[in-house]
Amino acid sequence: MNPFAISILLILAMSTFVWFVYQKVMLLSSLGKEDRLDNVKARISTMLTIAFAQKRLIGRKKERPSGIMHAFIFWGFLVLGIRTITLGGEGFQMGFHLPFLGQDSIIGYLYLALKDVMEGIVLCMILFAAYRRAVTKPKRLTNSFEAWFVLVMIGTLMATDLLYDGARFNLIQIYESQDIHWFNNPAFGPEYLWTPIASLFAWLMSGLSETGNVIVGVISYWLHMITVLTFLCFLPMGKHAHVITAIPNVFLSSVGYPHTPAKKLDLEDEAAWEDESLGVNHIHQFTWKQGLDLITCTECGRCMEVCPTYVTNKPLNLKSFNTSLKHELFDNMDNIIKRAALEKKLQQTEDEAEQEQIKEQMQALLSTKQLVGDVIAEDTLWACTTCRACEQVCPVGIEHVPRIIELRQGQTLMAESYPKELNVAYKGLDRNSNPWGIGYDKRADWAKGLGITTMAENPDVDYLLWVGCAGSFDDRGQKVARATAKILQAAGISFSILGTEEKCTGDFARRAGNEMLFQSMAEENVEILNGYKITKIIATCPHCLNTLGNEYPQFNGNYELIHHSQFISQLIEEGKIKVKKSVEGKITYHDPCYLGRYNKIFDEPRNIIGSIAKEGLTEMPRNREESFCCGAGGARMWMEETIGERINVNRVQEAVDMKADKVVVACPFCLTMVDDGIKTLEQEEKMETIDLAELVWQTLEKHEA
Amino acid sequence: MNILVTVKNVVDVELNIQVKNGAIVQDGLQYVMNAWDENAVEATVVLKEDQGASTELVCIGDGTATVAIRKAFAMGIEGGLLIEDEAIKNVDSASYAKILQKVYEQGDYDLVITGKQSQDTDSGQTGILLAEFLGLPCVSNVVTIEAIDDKNLKVTRQADGNKEVIALQLPAVITVNDSINEPRLPALRGIMQAKKKKIKNLDLSDLGLSADDMAASKTKVLEYQAPQSRGAGQKFEGDAAEITSQVVNLLATEAKVF
Repeated sequence: MNPFAISILLILAMSTFVWFVYQKVMLLSSLGKEDRLDNVKARISTMLTIAFAQKRLIGRKKERPSGIMHAFIFWGFLVLGIRTITLGGEGFQMGFHLPFLGQDSIIGYLYLALKDVMEGIVLCMILFAAYRRAVTKPKRLTNSFEAWFVLVMIGTLMATDLLYDGARFNLIQIYESQDIHWFNNPAFGPEYLWTPIASLFAWLMSGLSETGNVIVGVISYWLHMITVLTFLCFLPMGKHAHVITAIPNVFLSSVGYPHTPAKKLDLEDEAAWEDESLGVNHIHQFTWKQGLDLITCTECGRCMEVCPTYVTNKPLNLKSFNTSLKHELFDNMDNIIKRAALEKKLQQTEDEAEQEQIKEQMQALLSTKQLVGDVIAEDTLWACTTCRACEQVCPVGIEHVPRIIELRQGQTLMAESYPKELNVAYKGLDRNSNPWGIGYDKRADWAKGLGITTMAENPDVDYLLWVGCAGSFDDRGQKVARATAKILQAAGISFSILGTEEKCTGDFARRAGNEMLFQSMAEENVEILNGYKITKIIATCPHCLNTLGNEYPQFNGNYELIHHSQFISQLIEEGKIKVKKSVEGKITYHDPCYLGRYNKIFDEPRNIIGSIAKEGLTEMPRNREESFCCGAGGARMWMEETIGERINVNRVQEAVDMKADKVVVACPFCLTMVDDGIKTLEQEEKMETIDLAELVWQTLEKHEA
Repeated sequence: MNILVTVKNVVDVELNIQVKNGAIVQDGLQYVMNAWDENAVEATVVLKEDQGASTELVCIGDGTATVAIRKAFAMGIEGGLLIEDEAIKNVDSASYAKILQKVYEQGDYDLVITGKQSQDTDSGQTGILLAEFLGLPCVSNVVTIEAIDDKNLKVTRQADGNKEVIALQLPAVITVNDSINEPRLPALRGIMQAKKKKIKNLDLSDLGLSADDMAASKTKVLEYQAPQSRGAGQKFEGDAAEITSQVVNLLATEAKVF
């Protein structure tokens, strides 16, 4: 077309783009360190399903139409990337094509057809997207200028390319300009036979004169190129950075365990206390991956929409949580980069006076804002139940929960500012190793008369039954513990409990950011567990299960964890306990977050219900991966819920609406919360909540009698 | 203002305490800071924060008391003395007061704050006896402390059904009620710092006392008795009128409430 003009355009655009990207790379490399390149195979598989196959966009029934829309736009981008290069080349040489994509091979023709159809589809999707934003207006979306600008740009890209080809086809077919006929292999025919959409555009312009077609063609070409390059430069600046960063962000997201477990902080490190580097208090303390998460956030609002706190009108709105942090990150970009350079210098110098000077300079570069208080409100931070619903739906794999825990650590350890109502539970944990503060010597009282041995009495067993604080001290929890133990006994399983040697795993303390209390619990428990050389643990509490299985390896505690639902399901399957389909009524199941979303145990509880309920299992609308939290996780069990609607009531209402007779749970905290919800809604006469173990034991009793 | 606060290490009353042959079974017991002393420590730390008072604790006990002492450090107490001696076993409040008297005399204190009693023995005498031995004024069961100046306090004590506001000239002894404050949970930073603080260990001879002084204890516990456990409740089912007469009958014959 015009080598000079296209060269100027390319140089301008590419240098702007590279500068923006360079800045962001510098910013990320100045943040905290983190290793994200292990287990490449699993990472690739995550990338293929989440990013390329767009699982979280089209996989969710509720969001399917918009998911399909996005997926086609995304796939369209992948296909049209090649086309963009071809068009750039045409700026230098008309009829330019990439190797193997010319008229000599069928691949060239196939690509032509694919890009043509894709452009048509993307154009339709853009129209649908515009309709959604203008007419249906989903609550989770913000109708920003940026959003509309990008839609217009993408639409322009599609339309101009189709117009460019269409005009060219008219010039070839009507005005016989054979010199612009790029594809005309006798074996495959002329190109316009392969491009239905561009041919449609050609037909629309067939009334134009030759000059008219030339003008449309030339304008379309240049408009297309200018739009492409503007788009490229626009990308790194706003929420559309995800076009570049989403695929790497998904590749770099956590594999195995769904997010990075809280780091084991070195609390003995005096310097860390001194320079306030325990937990996160300032934006520069986030890791580069957490920074990339912020840059990648597309502000789609899915996290917000599924968040139990947002649904019940609490101040935590993850979408604005993310954007607030993102702004703080960008506002401090220069200072963060300078600070990191100084930190490097500090490590290299041994001169004390110079060290002091550098430290002072670093202090001056700190953000003037405290993350909690100035950027994020305290109520917002403490509202989170750590249920992971947000992470489960995030299409770009952002890890919200670890960030919240680290901010809570900063508040608890450094700022000494946390909800004081936690003190009762902390004190109980400190003195008697349970959040209720009941004498530790009563921990095994629930087992009296059941003939259950302790590890001290009988360490030669196949399994340790980890009872947990609720199973040990809470009236209702004790019933679950007894039912579980009786089932194990009925199946002839060899097991012991730790008795008074068991302590709270410290789960809630860690979620609340009290790393010190958590670590002391973990260390004491691991010492006992390793002392008995325990390898297999059956746990009834998903919080214990999660902490013992996924966080104790940090303390040299490596055990195979089995949830009682898994174990019982297996006992039924193997015929070790005989159950009958005898439970009457409409039975539904509430997935505990730490069992389901955290540990992917969804099927076993359902299998159990399937084998004992006459009517089988009836699902609540929010189930499995998208189950709704009971409100007790993330140490919320030990705080009052004073803002907005109560989360447990919102959940129980769902069961009430479907007229369930029994809400089956598999977590002692869910049991308490659902039970409270039933009482609040005055449904005790019609509905009850029951743990899987209790339900199974009831049917076994009946069966045996 | 120099404050001496007393801290006693007591059995955690959350636990089931077993008595065998007239003695408390020690196996499985754990020890914590006496709850009223937590109030005393909190009151002391508040005076430190508000008045710049210097603070020191004294604890009579053994090695198990270091947890309680470090907790007081973590709450904000600056210095700590642990009086440990084989001879201090099964001694009465007067003997404790005698030891504290020596501690007071060796130091330079303006005010002693103690819990009004301890959770293990509940005798509530030590602080008052200490004041008596020292010839100092004493206000017991204190619920508020207000510093007027370095030498004068205004304190409120909970009396029987009313409160007394008292002007108190230092040096003096105060014993505090648990309603005086809500003891803080030590900040984690404080816990870390407390680990490194030195506890000064003293024995009776350091205080100019001997085992004979302890043996002179004028009261002795001869035996511990476990409280009678409450019997299980009784459930009545059936006709209301019938049950009523059953219950009334039982209340009269067994519970003897009439």
